[in-house]
Formats: sequence, C-alpha cells, structure tokens
Amino acid sequence: MAKMTGLQRVLTALNIQEPDVVPHFERVAKTVREAILPGGTEEEFIEHMDMDGIRFADRTQSWSYTQVDASKHIQRDQWGGMVRFTTEDNPICMAPAIKTEKDLDTYTAPDPDEPWRYEYLQRLVKRFKGERAIVVGATDIFALGRENFLGDVGYFRAMVKNPDLIDRANAIILDYQLRYVKNCIELGADIIWINGDWAMTEKPMVSRRFTERFLAPPLKRLVDFAHSLGTPCIKHTDGNIWPIYDVIIGTGVDGLHPIDPMAGMDIGEAKEKFGHSVCLCGNVSCAFSLVSGSVEDVRQETREVIRKAGKGGGLICMSSNSVHSGVKPDNYVAMVKAIREFGRYPLSLD
Amino acid sequence: MVDFAAMTQAVIRGDSDAAFELTQRALSEGIPAKRILEEGLVPGLRNVGDLFETGEYFLPELIVSGDAVSKALELLEPILGKSDVPLMGKYLIGTVKGDVHDLGKNIVVMMLKGNGWEVTDLGVDVSIEAVCSAVAEGDYHILGLSSLLTMTMPNVKKTIDALKAAGLRDRIKVMVGGAPTTAEWAQKIGADAYAKDGPTAAKVAAQLVGKS
Repeated sequence: MAKMTGLQRVLTALNIQEPDVVPHFERVAKTVREAILPGGTEEEFIEHMDMDGIRFADRTQSWSYTQVDASKHIQRDQWGGMVRFTTEDNPICMAPAIKTEKDLDTYTAPDPDEPWRYEYLQRLVKRFKGERAIVVGATDIFALGRENFLGDVGYFRAMVKNPDLIDRANAIILDYQLRYVKNCIELGADIIWINGDWAMTEKPMVSRRFTERFLAPPLKRLVDFAHSLGTPCIKHTDGNIWPIYDVIIGTGVDGLHPIDPMAGMDIGEAKEKFGHSVCLCGNVSCAFSLVSGSVEDVRQETREVIRKAGKGGGLICMSSNSVHSGVKPDNYVAMVKAIREFGRYPLSLD
Repeated sequence: MVDFAAMTQAVIRGDSDAAFELTQRALSEGIPAKRILEEGLVPGLRNVGDLFETGEYFLPELIVSGDAVSKALELLEPILGKSDVPLMGKYLIGTVKGDVHDLGKNIVVMMLKGNGWEVTDLGVDVSIEAVCSAVAEGDYHILGLSSLLTMTMPNVKKTIDALKAAGLRDRIKVMVGGAPTTAEWAQKIGADAYAKDGPTAAKVAAQLVGKS
C-alpha cells in the first residue's frame, strides 16, 4: 500500500477502512513534551513524533478569560463562570455562570465570530494543512451546560424539576457551537472533536431517558451540521457507556474516544458491538501502564489494543484519555513506536 | 398522626415541599427530631442509595432527593444541633491537593448529612498541611479524601503518610474515593475504607463507626 499522509490515515480510519498504518495523535502535557523534545514547541513536537494529527481544545485556545485572582489561578470564563487553571493548564469550573433562571433573561452569550479565536487554528492550518489532521475541540453541549453554564448540581436538578431551563441553556450553547464549528471548518479544520463526559466509572451520569431527551439531540444537531459541511466528528466521553452507547452512535458520530478501560470498557468487545459503524479511538491506559508500567508493558498493551480493534480499519490508537503530566515520557515514546511496529496493514497479530 | 412512610416516599420522589411539610407536621405533633430523621428521612435516602446502586436512579435523582432531605433538615438541624453528640459522628472531608473537582465530594457530603453525620467540608484542592491541622484540631471520627484525577491520586497517599508522620493517623479512620480509584488501591495506600460513590460512602461510614 502506498504511504499515506497523516490526514489520509486518520480520515481512512474514520471511514472504517484500513489505512497503511494505524494512525495516532494525542494531546501531550507540556512536561512530557519537554522531556522528549527539550525547548520544542507543540508543533515541533507533533513533527518530531510524526503524529498523524494535532488536536486542541476550545477551552484553552479560543475562549476568553478575565483574571480574578492570579495567585490562585482563578479566572472568569467567557460564559460568566469561575474557573481555576490546573498545573496542566486546564480550566476547571468552580462556579457556574447562571445562578438562577432569571439570569438567563438578561444573559448575553459570547460572540463566536471574534477573529482572535481562530488565530491558533490558522497557524496550524498554515503549517499542517493537507499533511496532518487538524482536529478542533468543541465542548459538548451537555458538558458545557453542566460544568460552566448551570453547574453540575443546578443542571441535574433542572433536568428533573425544570426541563425548560435545560432547553434554554442548550439553545444558547448550541447556537454558539454551531457558529464556532462553521468558522473552524471554513478556516481549514479537518475533524471536530466533541469533548465532554456523559458517564462515570460505574455508569452513565443520567438515565437513558434523560440521555435521549437532553444530551443526544444537541449533539446530533452539531454532528449533522459538521457533516453537512463535509467534516467528521469524534465524540469523547470517559466512563462506562455500555448502557447508552447506541444512543451516542445514533447521533451519527464518526469516532468514539476513549473506550475507557478504567470503566470496564473492553476495546475488543466495543469492536465487536459497534466497531463496524464507528471508529474506535483509544485506549492504552493512561491510568496504569503509561504511568507506572514498563516500556515493555506499554508495548504489549499497545499491541493488544491494535490486535483487538485494528482489524478492517476503524482504529485510531491513542491513550485512554490524554498524555498527562504523570505519564512517563519513555512510555509515551514506547506507545508510539509500538503503533508503528504492530499497526502496519495488513495486520498479522493473531 | 405522623406518616413516616409518606416522608420516606417524599425523599425518594425528590419532593422537597412534601418532605418539609411532613417534617413540620411531625415536629408540631411533638415527635423528636432524631426520630423524624431516623424513621422518615434516612430510610428515604437509603432507598435512594439502593435505587442508585441498582441502576434505576442516576445523578439527577440523587440530587433532588438530597434537596428534599436538606429542606427537611432546615427544620431539624437547629434542634439536633443542641445535642452535643451528632447522630452518627463527625466527618471531615476534602478533595486532595491539585484536584478541584467537587461533584463527587458534594454528593458524598449530601448523603452523609442526610444520614445524620455532622460534616466539615474543607473544600477542594486541600493542602496536606490543612488536612493535618484540621485532624489535629477537631475530634472527627472519619476523614474522607477524594481524588478525581489519576494525577492527584498520589496526593491521597501523601496525605495519609503525613498523618502518620504527624502522629495523627490513629486518631481517625480514613476513607478514600473518586472516579479513578479502586478498593485495591485504597488498601495499598493504607486507607481504612473505600467507597465508589456517595450512597456507598454513607453505608461504609456507618460500618466504620459500628452503626450500620
């Protein structure tokens, strides 16, 4: 098979076909990057590891924040809620934007058409377009509503007591995300990565009925819209999604990440149950093997992921969440090497 | 005539108004607050925990049931607070250093309070020193440490180790939990108990103090 570009590899996998080799891309914490390529930028790191794509999050690259307490790393996000930046530079919500329903009557949503939001994307397009997949994060409407907009407790309470409030919140967020996604695609995004958890380790956060009523419809709108512009979507959710996987797949997503092994999601079983209709993205453990295993443990686990889920294509091999700062740099390198060692099609791992 | 079964059902349904009204009526009939809690509200919350365990209830149902108990506790707490000894015991809780997620911890707090625990919540991203100081200064029965991120799990062990180093470990039982944690890991790091979610935490806490 002729050598493919990273972009071709990722798109082929998303079409559930066999590329030349199992593709890989990943968000890698700065500390890990620095240990592997001292002094390099993120883009240089992508090239150094020869990743097939580059993914970034909307929260960190295209949302605005205003300083509240620099000493405690607390800022106000563009939706009006308070967030705290972790050592990984991830903004974690501390207080939601909407305290009472009345707040919505006078609420002004952020403007997704502000040009500065797309500066990072444009830089990536200039450097990687056509060669590596440019994967743009768009936070899931449920996750954004639950975390930043209404807060976990407020959101869950409203699902039972005040469903109209959820519908109003979803409409505001969806309008923003549709316009954001349109702008990203017009500027050169290849794939939309819809980030946000629907499940906990044990089970989904909400019942199947609520999943169908509140979570799936706005996701489907977003996916349908991206598809209408010719762009595939990957949905990320941690947790045990066995009870609702068909609802997620029913939204039309092209890929599903990370098939959470911590939550008992076996990628072989996932391949059997839904690997024919959605590309599996995962799932080398970033809780265990990548953190505390040996290089050989990682090599073998990566081989096993490819053996279970790579047949016929439809696999993007990556970690089970992200390469966070606790991951041993050598182990990440071992995972990438193993993907190249065992992931060449046709596979011969059985 | 007090209808404890209706009170229990109000909690299960997450009907805050009914839970409040029935509690008010019971108090006006001279029923002791402790009995209202034990025979009306706690059975409701335990039932909710069971429904969560069996997969019939999820986080939204847990939240509104917790709301119903909280509403009733507005009437009971001023009365219960006059007693020197809380019904179940004193519980100190916090999310470990580096972790600012609090949904799981907040659900644990809600379930513990509803089950008669006096809870002191240290909040999120709590330093090891702050935990040790609180344990040294208070007379708590249980310390609950929550970690929602793989990368903050080592801080749970560090906190337990610091309690040992400070000579405080024997003064308090330590319970741990959080999305990436497991019972095996809890045992390995020297915790006394593990709870995978809020309803389980209330049960395990009761077992730890011999009141299950």
